[in-house]
Amino acid sequence: MFDFITESRNFYDYITLAVLLLVFFNTFEILFLLYNKARVERSERKRQNLKRLASTALITATNAAELLPKPATEDEYAAYSEAVASVLDSFEGEIADRAAALITQLGIDAHYRRLARHRTWYKRGNAVDILASFRLKANKEFFLAIFRSETSSEVKYRIIYGLSRLVRDHGDILVLARLLSSLPYLTAKYTEDIFYNVITALKAAGREEEFGLFMRDTMHDESVLKMVKRDCLAACSAAVCEKGRATLLGYYAAFPGEPEILIASLRALAGIGDFSQLPAALKHPDWRVRLAALKFSHLCCTDMLPEVRAMLHDPNYHVRLNAALAFARSGDAGRAVLRAEESSDDRFAAAAAAYALSQEAL
Amino acid sequence: MSFLLWFALQFSQFTVFLYFLAINTVYTVLIVLAMRDIIRHAYLTTSRVARRQLAGEFYYKPVSVIVPAYNEAAVIAQSVKALTNLHYPEFEIIVINDGSTDDTLARLKEDFSLVSSKKPVRLQVPHEAIRAIFKSADYPNLIVIDKENGGKADAINAGINVSSYPIFCSIDADSILEPDAILKSSKLFLEDDELIATGGIIRILNGCRIQDGSVVEIGLPGSFIEAMQVLEYTRAFLSGRTGWNALKSLLIISGAFGVFRKDMVVAVNGYRKTIGEDMDLVMRLHRHCKDNAIPYKILFVPDPVCWTQAPFSMKMLLKQRNRWHRGMIDALLSNRGMILNRKYGATSLVGISYFVFVEFLGPLIELFGYVSIPILYFLGMLNTQFMVMLILMAVFWGISINVAAVFLDTYNFRRYKKTSDILRLCLLSAAEFFGYRQIMLLERLRATLSFRETAWGTQDRQVFKQ
Repeated sequence: MFDFITESRNFYDYITLAVLLLVFFNTFEILFLLYNKARVERSERKRQNLKRLASTALITATNAAELLPKPATEDEYAAYSEAVASVLDSFEGEIADRAAALITQLGIDAHYRRLARHRTWYKRGNAVDILASFRLKANKEFFLAIFRSETSSEVKYRIIYGLSRLVRDHGDILVLARLLSSLPYLTAKYTEDIFYNVITALKAAGREEEFGLFMRDTMHDESVLKMVKRDCLAACSAAVCEKGRATLLGYYAAFPGEPEILIASLRALAGIGDFSQLPAALKHPDWRVRLAALKFSHLCCTDMLPEVRAMLHDPNYHVRLNAALAFARSGDAGRAVLRAEESSDDRFAAAAAAYALSQEAL
Repeated sequence: MSFLLWFALQFSQFTVFLYFLAINTVYTVLIVLAMRDIIRHAYLTTSRVARRQLAGEFYYKPVSVIVPAYNEAAVIAQSVKALTNLHYPEFEIIVINDGSTDDTLARLKEDFSLVSSKKPVRLQVPHEAIRAIFKSADYPNLIVIDKENGGKADAINAGINVSSYPIFCSIDADSILEPDAILKSSKLFLEDDELIATGGIIRILNGCRIQDGSVVEIGLPGSFIEAMQVLEYTRAFLSGRTGWNALKSLLIISGAFGVFRKDMVVAVNGYRKTIGEDMDLVMRLHRHCKDNAIPYKILFVPDPVCWTQAPFSMKMLLKQRNRWHRGMIDALLSNRGMILNRKYGATSLVGISYFVFVEFLGPLIELFGYVSIPILYFLGMLNTQFMVMLILMAVFWGISINVAAVFLDTYNFRRYKKTSDILRLCLLSAAEFFGYRQIMLLERLRATLSFRETAWGTQDRQVFKQ
């Protein structure tokens, strides 16, 4: 069966050539492996040294740009960008201003702006990530421009992330929301992260109430996904958006049949110390809402004990268990209820009470 | 000689030749895909991104770490100690003593001040009876379950029922997670709502030095068998699984370290009691999602690391490989409806086909190749020159695939820093083809013949090197 192959002209010449090529390839592979290892280690050392040098110069010297060599290689740009991003994350005021100035003085932003137009999407994504970490106001227009020409959604999500750190007013939030809605919904945490950045940026600019206005405007806007509204509420909770209380209460009232929005509103309200909706939430038909309310019930007052006690007999496992834990956290009155329930005829309630008391003992 | 015998011999040679070409081509394609994926991953997983994750304390989902343990007295305390050091905002550790006959439970009680807990358990997935639940007085997030023996799958099911969080991570009791492993793997669940399961890379602990439950010095183990497993794991994870990732056909998330969405695992009724429970679960997850038109992703990520103890003797190694192979056959048989079924897309046509035609039938064909050499020789039908060339090609092609896997590791992760370790791995890349591969082949054949056996056998453990 092989004869037609093995007896063909020059067959053995070809196969010998293939074996020799493999031998050559293996030798080359091993040599390249060793060379690459040495190269990477050398560049890693150099990068760390440069990063250390740049960080020290930024913190201690007023003329860092004059002390530092101008970056020439990719590694040098990476070292400077890491140092600058780290300083910007850790410092404010003069040092942060110096770090921001260094980005332009050494041409770091220009370099990454060029890379943000690279033909390979993940290189563009990496460049956008780096530019986003600088939080330079001047990059806003650039981000908007590259968003228009960008073809990869992966990169577009990163551009939006970068823009979310540069929001200054209501207009910026609307632009951001428009860009966000032009892409498929990614994940709850991504959207939450974006709006968390927005609230943080607005807080820094002293315009926190503008996020409340944005939330109010979108409350009944059908074009905004309910998931996005929920994520905005979650961001309010994470960023403790104190000036949005009225809007948060509005959301709780406006979406009685949407458990996820109710839960997010409850959490955000609890985050700013408003527990006014808890009694109603404890009686909600959806167990997830009851559960979310239970998590905060011990924080507000003890006059909700009768409502919470009824929940020890709830048909849902999580609600029963958390009701018992809420009692365990409610001081002597709560523990007395648990001890009484330990001998309840409802064995599920008794088990939950016993568990909460054993937790308490720990 | 009859024409039939002549034809049979010629045909078998042709089959072996085609198998040789196919298997090496598959491995080459996988490594090329893996290379592309890992380079991309290196670009997008920068320290900047990591810092953002660490800084964003609100952006996580709490995780239950489930550790089934059967006769693990030698290593359990250190493993659990390592888990308490994980860098993660909210997690619980659930250790399941699966009816151990040694001092596993006593060690846990002694080292972690366990006290009885009365936590009510919701039966979502089936398992053997729980005898008692304990909580640690020292570590509030440590729970220990003592239950009747039921096997690893059964123990994990018990852990799932006791767990409180929406994501769980199952790891082996003889494994050590790197402190940021949960952070790196669970962040994917935040980035993609369709993700239902993910697994990180398993690395060999033998040869490394442990301090306070963390790996502080990484080195290639001295013995041939242990070092060879380092090469095998590097190849299997960095080129194999990363490649399957790219083809959307990942069928195995290692039982030593996998992270899952609990609701999906509960939806498929948890782990099935089998020796290949990890592959079986992933196959059933694929099947469940495709059958119910649920958009989903199952991914391998190369940077979260779990260090695990590898068998240190040939006897233990063969036992392990035998079990793996039987587990794979059992998972394939149990999910046979997925074989060459277009309904399951690439998972079936690419991933499962590979396991059937390469992993399951491969050893039979390879053995046939070896056996046919003396037969053809005595019948005067052996083309010696062709045979020698074919063997040389197979060896050198195999070496280049192995070295490429070492390259991938060195390029991006640089775990083995000593040049001597890397050179040894290159040397082992060649040594694998002279004896080691054939011994493993014979064990896989033995496993194929005894695939109905469900015994795990006992695994000897060494105390971690301090």
